[in-house]
Amino acid sequence: MEIIEKIKTNKSIDNQTEIQKICLDKLQSSPLPNPRSEQWRLSNKSKLSNFLDYSINENNSKFDISYPKNYQSNIRLIIGDNCQIKLIEKNYSIQQLSEDELQKYIKEQITFFNQNENWSDLLNLSLSGKNNILGLKINGSEIPPIEIFSHASSNYLNAKTLIIFLEKNCNVELLQINLGEDNSSLSQSTFFCLEENSSLNHGVVSYGVNKSNLLNSLNVIQQKNSEYNLGSLHFKFNYARFEIRIKQSEGNAKTNIKGMQITKKNEQISTYTKIDFDGPNGFLDQINKSLADDKSHAIFEGSIIVPKIAQKTDASQLSRNLLLSNLAQIDTKPQLEIIADDVKCKHGATISQLNEEELFYMRTRGITLTEASKLQLSSYFQEIISFIPVSKDRWDLLDKLLNQN
Amino acid sequence: MQSKMKESDPILEVKNLSASTDNLPILKGVSLTVYPGEIHAIMGRNGCGKSTLSKIIAGHPSYNITNGDIKFLGENINSLEPEERSQSGIFLGFQYPIEIPGVSNLEFLRVSTNARRKFLNKEELDTFDFEELVKEKLEIVKMDQAFLSRSVNQGFSGGEKKRNEILQMALLEPKIAILDETDSGLDIDALRIVASGIKRISNAQTGIILITHYQRLLDEIKPNYVHVMSDGQIIKTGESDLALELEKKGYEWTDNFIKET
Amino acid sequence: MVNENLVKDVVKEPYKYGFVTDIETEKIEKGLNEDIIKLISQKKEEPRFLLDFRLKAFKKWQKMKEPDWAALGYKKIDYQDIIYYSAPKQKEKISSLDEVDPKLLETFDKLGIPLTEQKKLTNVAVDAVFDSVSIATTFREELAEHGVIFCSISEAVKNHADLIEKYLGTVVPASDNYFAALNSAVFSDGSFVYIPKGVTCPMDLSSYFRINSGDSGQFERTLIIAEESSSVSYLEGCTAPMFDTNTLHAAVVELIALDDASIKYSTVQNWYAGDEEGIGGIFNFVTKRGKCLGKRSKISWSQVETGSAITWKYPSCLLLGEESVGEFYSVALTNNLQQADTGTKMIHIGPKTKSTIVSKGISAGNSKNSYRGLVKMGTKAAGSRNYSQCDSMLIGDQASANTFPYIKSQQPNSEIEHEASTCRISEDQLFYLQSRGIEFEEAVSMMVSGFCRDVFNQLPMEFAAEADKLLALKLEGSVG
Repeated sequence: MEIIEKIKTNKSIDNQTEIQKICLDKLQSSPLPNPRSEQWRLSNKSKLSNFLDYSINENNSKFDISYPKNYQSNIRLIIGDNCQIKLIEKNYSIQQLSEDELQKYIKEQITFFNQNENWSDLLNLSLSGKNNILGLKINGSEIPPIEIFSHASSNYLNAKTLIIFLEKNCNVELLQINLGEDNSSLSQSTFFCLEENSSLNHGVVSYGVNKSNLLNSLNVIQQKNSEYNLGSLHFKFNYARFEIRIKQSEGNAKTNIKGMQITKKNEQISTYTKIDFDGPNGFLDQINKSLADDKSHAIFEGSIIVPKIAQKTDASQLSRNLLLSNLAQIDTKPQLEIIADDVKCKHGATISQLNEEELFYMRTRGITLTEASKLQLSSYFQEIISFIPVSKDRWDLLDKLLNQN
Repeated sequence: MQSKMKESDPILEVKNLSASTDNLPILKGVSLTVYPGEIHAIMGRNGCGKSTLSKIIAGHPSYNITNGDIKFLGENINSLEPEERSQSGIFLGFQYPIEIPGVSNLEFLRVSTNARRKFLNKEELDTFDFEELVKEKLEIVKMDQAFLSRSVNQGFSGGEKKRNEILQMALLEPKIAILDETDSGLDIDALRIVASGIKRISNAQTGIILITHYQRLLDEIKPNYVHVMSDGQIIKTGESDLALELEKKGYEWTDNFIKET
Repeated sequence: MVNENLVKDVVKEPYKYGFVTDIETEKIEKGLNEDIIKLISQKKEEPRFLLDFRLKAFKKWQKMKEPDWAALGYKKIDYQDIIYYSAPKQKEKISSLDEVDPKLLETFDKLGIPLTEQKKLTNVAVDAVFDSVSIATTFREELAEHGVIFCSISEAVKNHADLIEKYLGTVVPASDNYFAALNSAVFSDGSFVYIPKGVTCPMDLSSYFRINSGDSGQFERTLIIAEESSSVSYLEGCTAPMFDTNTLHAAVVELIALDDASIKYSTVQNWYAGDEEGIGGIFNFVTKRGKCLGKRSKISWSQVETGSAITWKYPSCLLLGEESVGEFYSVALTNNLQQADTGTKMIHIGPKTKSTIVSKGISAGNSKNSYRGLVKMGTKAAGSRNYSQCDSMLIGDQASANTFPYIKSQQPNSEIEHEASTCRISEDQLFYLQSRGIEFEEAVSMMVSGFCRDVFNQLPMEFAAEADKLLALKLEGSVG
C-alpha cells in the first residue's frame, strides 16, 4: 500500500487525469506485482522496492549528461520537453496525438492489461502526467531518423510515456535513449502501433550512472505486412527490467529482435519478452545476449505463443549468455507454447565463458589474453550494436561497453 | 652438412617431456632437438600424442607438464604464456584451425603480426601498411583478398583454413614452425600450394616440425629426420627413408620397436 | 493434403490391457486420516520408525497445497474418496509361487509378464505389484547368490530395516512436494533393490505395476541403492484396466549411486489414458529422483510415456559426486485429451559433473504435451557441462506442444547448451516414402520412430522393440 500512498501524496487528486485514476485504481488492488509470478519471481525484491524510494518528479529539472552532437538532419525529441514539436509538425508529416486520441488509445490498451504482466505499465501510467506523455502519428516515408530521449534526474522517480502510430506504408528509424542519473528511477512505457506495410527500425539504448534504476516496458502491435526491427542495449543499472510485448495481430508480419544486457558489480538487469502470433505466416528471429560479471545477475525470459490460427509461423529464439565471474548469476528461460502444427519453431540457450579454444588460437598468434578477450567481446557486442539504428559511430557504444567499469 | 649444422645452438630442445590432461598421462618422456635449417617429421597413429606435443610446445592451458623441459633458443619456456611463445617466434599451425565468428580476419592478422613485430623491435604497422604487407604474402598461398574481410576461418573450406594458417606463418616469420597435419584434407593442388608456402618460408635460420600421417607431404618437403611416435613416446628416429619404409610396411611394423633411447 | 481421417483412424487402436481381474480383495475403507495410516502400517507390521515417517509426512501433506503451476487442467481430486489400501486376498504366508492365486498369475500372463517357473522371462527378474502389494518376485535365489537384494519394499522393511531407515526419504524428502508427501504417508508397496559393492547385477531387474481396482489409488515406492562400483539396469512397466473414473497413481522412486556405481532406470508407462472424450484414465503424479552421491557415479533415466490421462513427472538427478553423470532420455506421446507435463531436473552440485537431456514429445488429437526442465549449475560445479535437446512433433492442428526450460548458472567455468525445435511430419517426407511403395501407416510410424530414435537407442533391447510397437499402435491414425 505504501506505493499507493506515495503516489497519492505526490499528486493532488483533482489534478489527476482519467487514465491516472484508472491505473491507480488497478494498482490499489495489487500495489506490488506478485513476487511468485513467473514475471517477477527472479526480480530482486529489495531493488524493486528501492525503485520506488524516490519522490516523484513531474517537472524536468536540468539534466547533465551531454548528448552527442546532433546531425542537422535528425529529429531529436525529449519527452517532457515538447517545445520542438510544433516545429517538427510544420516540416514533416508527423502530428502530435490529441489528448482525446491519447486517452482513447491508452484506455483501450489498459483493458488488455494483466496485473503481473503489465504492472510496470500500470505504474507508469498512474505516474506520468500530461507533460510526460508524448504521442505521435507518423505518415509518409520521407521521415529523417528520429531520436527520443527519456531521463531520470538524481534523487527522483521520473515516469515517461511514448505512444507512436506508424501509419500505412510508412518507414521510420527511431532511436530511443533512456538515461538515468545517479540515484534515480526511470519508468518508461512505450506503445507502438505499426499499421499495414509500415516498417520501424527501432533502437533502445538505456544506461545509467551509479545506482540508477529502470523499468522499461515496450508494447508493439504489428498489423499485417509490417516489419519491426529492434536492437536494444541495457547496461549500468543497479536494477533494470526491459519488458517487450509484441503482438502480430493478424500474423503475416516480420519481427527481428537483437537485444543485449550487461551486468557488473551488484547489478540486476532482466529482459522479458512475449511474442504473440495472432495470425498465420508470422516471422520472428530473436537473439538475446547477456553478460554477467562480478556479483551481478542477468535474467532472460522469453515466450513465443503460437495458437492454432498461426499456421506457418516461423519463429526462432536464441539466448546466449556469458558468465564471467564466480559470484555472478545467469537465469534464462526461452519458452515455446505451440498449438498449430504446421510451424517452424526453435529455440536455444547457452551459458558459458569466453571460448577457450578461440582464446588459445589467438594467443598462439601472439595476441595477449586481455586483447584476445576484448576481440571476442567486441564481436559478441558488435552483432547487437550493429543492429541499433541511428547510433552508428556517434554514440560510441562499443567503446562504452568495452571500457565501462 | 649435418655436422656443420650442429655447430650452431639448437632452436628447440624438448627434454624427457611428460605431460597429462585431467590426470591422464599423454606424453611419457619425449625428447627432440631441432637445429636451425632442419626439417623434422613426426609420424604415428591417431592418439599417439603427436598433436598434444605440438599443443604443449605452444602452451595450451589444458595440459600439465609433469616432467621434463622445453627450451627455446636456450631458455626454458615451460611457464611462458601462449602469446609470449608466439611473440618470441614459435608458430603452431593447427590441425583444425579455430573459427572465430565476428572477428575480422584482417584485424586478427594485423594484431598478431604487430605483436610479433613489437617483440622484434620492429615498427608496428597501421592498417594501410599492413594491407600492403598482407597482399604480398597472399601471393605465397594464392589466396584472394576477399578472405581478409571475412571472419577468422569462418565458413572457410578445409583447404582455405590451412592456407590461412600458412599465411599467418608467413606474416609472423617464426623461428620454429610446428605444422600439425597441415596436409590432411587437402587435394593435390592445395597440397602443392601449402608445400611451396612452407618451402618459401623455411631457411637456414628456421626449424620446421611437420606432423603428418602421410608420405605425400614429405614427397614435397624432404625432412632431415623422421620420428615415429607411439603411446606418448618417440619409439624410432631415422632419416627421410624411414618415412618411405613406414609407408610401405604400415604402423604395425613399428609395433615391435622398443623405445630406442 | 494428407488424408486427415485416415491418419485419425490410425490412432484409434483400442487399449489392450483394459480388462479387470475378478479377484477377492481386502480393502480398507475410503478416506485418509491418521487412523488409516496407522492401519496401513499395522497391516504391514511395520517398525515404529516407519509409522513415524508416515505420520510426519501426513502432517506435512495436510499443510501443503496441491500444485497448480504445471500446464495442466483437471478435475479436483477428492482425497477422501480414495481407498488407500487394497490387496488381493491370499494365504497368510506364501512360500512359493505355486501358492499365488492362479488368477493373479493369469493376469500377469495376459499382460505378457509370465511369473511361473516354467514360463518366466529368461533374462529379467520381475517383481509384480498388484494394486497395493507385491505378489511375486522371480529369480530371487539366483540374485541372492550375487548378494543382490531384490524384493518388495514391505519385505525389505522387515528384513533390511537398517537400509530402509538409512536411505528412505533421503533423495525425495516427504516435504518435497504435495504428491511425494502423500506417497510418504500412505505408500503400500513397491520394489527394493540393493546391489552390493563391486557387483554388476547379472540380469535386468523389473517391476510390473498393475492397478486393478477402480477406486483405490496406487502409491508405490521404489528404492534402489547401488554401492561402490556396482551397476544395475532396472525396468518398470505399468498398465491398468479401463474405468470411467480417474484413478490416482502417486509413486515415489529414489535412486542412490555411490562411487563408480551406475543405475539405469527405464520405464514404459502405459496406464489407461481414458477414452476419446477424456473420460476415465489414470492421474499419474510421480516423483522420481536419483542422487549421484559418489564420485564418477551415473544415473540414467529413460522413459516412454504413452498412457495416463495426466502425467506429471520429472525424473531428476542430483549430481553431487565429482565427475558424476546424469542422463534423461524421454519419449512422451499424447493423444485425444491426454495431458503430459514431463521433463527433468539436472542439479549440478559437484565439480566436473555432466548431464544430457534428450526429450521427444509427440502430441496428437486434442492433447497437451509440455516439456518442463531445470538445469542448474551451482557455485561449486566447476568444469560441468549440460547438453539438452527437446524436440516436439505436432500431429493435427488441435494438439499443443510447450517447452519450458529453466536454465540457471552460478559457475562461469561450466557450459549449458539447450536446443529445442518443433516439427511436423511433412507431406513431402510422407510422399517420398509412399512413392517407394511404403504404406501410409507404415510411413507415419517410420517417421515417428525415427524421430524417437535417440531415445529408443537408450532402452534395453526388449523394451526398445516394445516401445516402438506401442508408439505405432497409439499413433495409428493421427497425421494430418
